[in-house]
Amino acid sequence: MVAKPKVAICWLGSCGGCDEAVVDLNEAILQVTSAVDVIFWPVALDFKYHHLEALEKGEVALSIINGHIRNSEQEEVAKLLREKSQLVLAFGACACFGGTPGMANFRSKEDIFNWVYRDAPTVVNPKGNYPQPRSQANGKELTLPEFYEQVFALNQVIDVDYYLPGCPPPPDLIANAVNAVLEGKLPPKGSTLAPHKALCDTCKRNETKPDKISIKDIKRIHEVEASPDTCFLAQGILCMGIATRGGCGESCININMPCRGCFGPVEGVEDSGAKFISALAAMLDAENDEEMKQLIDKLDDLAGYTYRFTLPVSLLQRKRA
Amino acid sequence: MSDFEPKIVCFSCKFSWGYLANETSLSSQIKNWIPIICSGKVDAKHIMEAFKHGADGVLILGCPEGDCHYQDGNFETKKRVQLLHKVLDSYGIEPERVRMELSLDPEGKRIPELVKSMSETVRGLGPVRQI
Ligand code: SF4
Ligand code: SF4
Repeated sequence: MVAKPKVAICWLGSCGGCDEAVVDLNEAILQVTSAVDVIFWPVALDFKYHHLEALEKGEVALSIINGHIRNSEQEEVAKLLREKSQLVLAFGACACFGGTPGMANFRSKEDIFNWVYRDAPTVVNPKGNYPQPRSQANGKELTLPEFYEQVFALNQVIDVDYYLPGCPPPPDLIANAVNAVLEGKLPPKGSTLAPHKALCDTCKRNETKPDKISIKDIKRIHEVEASPDTCFLAQGILCMGIATRGGCGESCININMPCRGCFGPVEGVEDSGAKFISALAAMLDAENDEEMKQLIDKLDDLAGYTYRFTLPVSLLQRKRA
Repeated sequence: MSDFEPKIVCFSCKFSWGYLANETSLSSQIKNWIPIICSGKVDAKHIMEAFKHGADGVLILGCPEGDCHYQDGNFETKKRVQLLHKVLDSYGIEPERVRMELSLDPEGKRIPELVKSMSETVRGLGPVRQI
């Protein structure tokens, strides 16, 4: 019997949603597991890092890695998986772009530690203890992974072969990606295994989008009763669909929530936030600076909104030293 | 920080700024001077890229309000800059580091002056703080 290809599934800085998305393949997962040997999957199977270490270089056909990298353990595991794998798939917004945890890059590590271990109202820490990579207790040395200065996307730490965005990626694209690997029908290295165009291209509300959108008043989704059929932008509600890669299956749009951008930039665009800002500026219908200011003042956290999933890979982020 | 020499990138629209001037002599006076056709061409991405490549400030010179050769490119960029101020602020890049001046100066005499005054503002702020 020919040995089945080995597959590793791993979470780094992750919420577990991406692993859940794999489980959500339901019956399809049975087909997948009959075609491959899952040799590592911390969330579901009891394999340890030393099992990975024992493998030969390149012995794993595919590593599916979700989550961002912010500490030394995540970096070590990512590098170990890279060494043992022929292909690495960055799975989910966190692995592809840093994801929502990437918004922490608006703050320094110092700010974060001070808040979490000193200033937050629920913290009681009279000795002022902060987590240390090494510390002594009862004559023994304890170690913890080192917390890095910032959040990184997977490709800022290891070489990545393919990308599958989404928070989490939808089942049809996961199944397509796995099948493409199994059948050896892969696009060029570096490709994103999702459509190239913006979400608007397949959004059924697109028909109601006027040729020229002019927003006189910005509304937030919880402040209004949004029409379930009309383009959000036409209703004055911000929607990232214009600057976001399609392929998610419009799961947010279908439950009457505007797109938040988890599929990242469309093909060929580096920074979806910058694109969105330019497009939004054109849509804001202000006659003068004062009107513009009034509109902008309504945007509480524009940077957080535009970089909700992509801050670590945005133009202005520091590259990894 | 006393020897901090701010790097200013200046985009200027050729329709109003320095079209009668000798471009070579102006560009020898002003480092990183980028004449363009219509200030409306300046995208959020270009401004962010300038900072990414080490600029400490960005100055955009456009035609007087209501006088854009392409209807309202200058006002469109002004809106973009206003939005971008808000985003850049979250990155720790102060709004004063991106300035727009809408006026007319065919001989481009004021360009070096404006760049200089922008340099002074930015010198006071210091180099861009990296988050
Ligand atoms: S991409 Fe979304 S679902 Fe996946 S780990 Fe990150 S936050 Fe969770
Ligand atoms: S802007 Fe949003 S609601 Fe409008 S067509 Fe695009 S994705 Fe759909």
